[in-house]
Amino acid sequence: MRVSEIAFGAICVMAVVAAAPRARQAASAPNAMTDSIRFVAHPEHIPSGFPSHDRPLALRNPLEGNANARKVGAQLYVSYNCIDCHGADGSGAMGPSLADGRWHFGGTSGELFESIYQGRPDGMPAWGGRIANDQIWSLITYIQSLSQGKNVATENFTGRTVERTGH
Amino acid sequence: MIGHLTAIAHAATGVVFIAGLSACTSSSDTSPSRDSGGVAKATGAPVQVAGTRIGVPRTTAAGEWQMPAGDYASSRFSDLAQITPANAANLKASWTFSTGVLRGHEGQPLVVNNTMYLVTPYPNVSYAIDLATAGQPLKWKFRPENAQAATGQACCDVVNRGAAYADGKIFYNLLDGHTVAVDAENGTQLWRTRMADLNLGETMTMAPIVVKGKVLVGSSGGEMGVRGWLAAIDAKTGKEVWRGYNTGSDRDVKVGSRFKAFYPQDNGKDLGLTSWPGETWKQGGGAVWGWLSYDPELNLVYYGTSNPGPWNPSVRKGDNKWSCAIMARDADTGELVWAFQVTPYDMWDYDTVNENILVDLPLGGTTRKALVHFDRNGFAYTIDRATGEVLVAKPFVQMNWSTGVDMKTGRPQVVPEKMTAEGKLVKDICPSLEGGKNQQPAAFSPQTGLFYVPTINLCMDFEVRPVTYIPGTPYIGANAPEKKGPGGHGGEFIAWDATTGRKVWGIEEPFPVWGGALATAGGVVFYGTLDGWFKAVDASSGKALWKFKVGSGVVGNPIAYLGPDGKQYIAVYSGIGGDMGLLIAGDVAANLPYDIRERGSTLPDLARWTSWGGMLFVFSL
Repeated sequence: MRVSEIAFGAICVMAVVAAAPRARQAASAPNAMTDSIRFVAHPEHIPSGFPSHDRPLALRNPLEGNANARKVGAQLYVSYNCIDCHGADGSGAMGPSLADGRWHFGGTSGELFESIYQGRPDGMPAWGGRIANDQIWSLITYIQSLSQGKNVATENFTGRTVERTGH
Repeated sequence: MIGHLTAIAHAATGVVFIAGLSACTSSSDTSPSRDSGGVAKATGAPVQVAGTRIGVPRTTAAGEWQMPAGDYASSRFSDLAQITPANAANLKASWTFSTGVLRGHEGQPLVVNNTMYLVTPYPNVSYAIDLATAGQPLKWKFRPENAQAATGQACCDVVNRGAAYADGKIFYNLLDGHTVAVDAENGTQLWRTRMADLNLGETMTMAPIVVKGKVLVGSSGGEMGVRGWLAAIDAKTGKEVWRGYNTGSDRDVKVGSRFKAFYPQDNGKDLGLTSWPGETWKQGGGAVWGWLSYDPELNLVYYGTSNPGPWNPSVRKGDNKWSCAIMARDADTGELVWAFQVTPYDMWDYDTVNENILVDLPLGGTTRKALVHFDRNGFAYTIDRATGEVLVAKPFVQMNWSTGVDMKTGRPQVVPEKMTAEGKLVKDICPSLEGGKNQQPAAFSPQTGLFYVPTINLCMDFEVRPVTYIPGTPYIGANAPEKKGPGGHGGEFIAWDATTGRKVWGIEEPFPVWGGALATAGGVVFYGTLDGWFKAVDASSGKALWKFKVGSGVVGNPIAYLGPDGKQYIAVYSGIGGDMGLLIAGDVAANLPYDIRERGSTLPDLARWTSWGGMLFVFSL
């Protein structure tokens, strides 16, 4: 199986996740860290004055901007069949676009991690515990590189030629 | 409101054609009377071309539309004759109805007992509309349980191709793999049976037909590594009666002593196993997401199977039976009686799911019981529906992947340079993977003897890459960017003579024609376009008679019915989507209105002409 080869031939070890304990990376078995990772901060959904006794977790991508992680993420994007749902370069196919800067479940690193780890009810499988967490972060690093300049709110059709934003 | 729409209709029409009627249609151009309901002839379809008739005469009332294609023959021919080439310019919008759903509205409504039945794309809401009361109020609305996860498992938008009516019940499929029966009177769910496994990427989008108390259904998922099947469900109880797989052992495929294919390569033991390497047949596709036909005399149900999975052909060397095949099964037992593999070892995603139209045609001096099929691969096949013998096979669109069908074997002769394989990029293959025609069904008129075929003029590059089977994710392994084919038009609406394999006339369209056709006894043919025009043309000449700009691109199929007021109505969905709308048409393809999907390079300007939105449009004189 190509999947497990990729999973075990994994990439660099994941760095510290903010407010989460340092964890040893394993290809499959969830551990204490992955349990805590289930909780992502959504301050935008908390009305002011809403009672709080805890400081919510804010996940940061330890591989953010890492060129090698982006390259690995691009390979994983094909190997795990992300490409056939979300399109080449995240342009969207049977699943939503990942390149338009518009997110159904949030576009921060933590929210993207949550979407990949836990899946989403519209058919996005839950990959958590199936692939290594650092692979998820590599995928996120790649995905976050796709939307540069693609969030174009206005399309003007009246010009002499139809302006193409596509590939 | 109606007055306003009428004004638009006239403006859109521009020039009013008073068509000169050909000999073929003139005799049907009679003034309709209330008694006959505008039907050209009281009993069945008139035969005006010698030896030409719809293979299975309609037994239901002429003014109704009880099954997806109107009849078991899949003719999509209506006996109603009030609308003619002489008066079609006076057509106007009568009433409209928003389905409340945005995605691709393939399929068509039903009309039974002065009630219209609609099924929407996911979440597959159904409506019963009272046609006998002004304002068309609802009789009922049914919202089935339907797992949202299905929306992420459906390859080509969350479409539904319609319901079937029988014995006071409405039957249809849910995207999440269930078939439901609903009481046509009050909308109560009578049964709900899980037929497909969503966890394996199986969804259901096709329209069932009901044969002798059995509901016949199949699943989608040719891009998800599924194993295709056709199943029969007891219409009363919802219990599965039989299921025939399209890959696997003879036992699973239901190949027994009765099976006899016409061509030697299609006969043999366990071909559903031996034509695949190892166990690749288990994820081999061959899904049944298209249309079904039925011949009561032969008691055979006909359907086509999808592409083999994955698209990467290098991992499944062999004929890959019975993907890309036309299958004929005994309607009672499910036994496979004959099969004909249209595209053995498919390398281009040329599914064979398109409709099989049952007609009797004059061929070689006799009348043959034929089946006419316009395949994705670009060939139009006229086949003996009792034996599977290919009688005529000619290209109906521009193509370059094959030089023709070998009439000794029925196999297409493949151009070696157009064969795809892993590690290879093959440029400029025509037609593209959307096919010369896709799910949008053709219509047949016994008056002209012609088939009316919505076609696609796209080509593609095909690059095969390695792929891993992960259940519930796509199993594809190829990139296939598309572009318009030679001539620069995206599609053409053609009239086809299936006895000679010849195009009689054609209307070029800027975009692929993804909506189905309707032929009527008035000598008028109807179809809709992706850029949102609904059109009436002369069945004999193809001359434009009338058009109306509907709310969104048309990927649905028009029907004709007789209203309680004795008038002929034409009904069609607008609502762009489906594979064409969803995958390559830019931001009309986005998942939510909030999204900004990049415009694809294939049809970059389609988004200028339409946006999404599901709406029923009904027209009359």
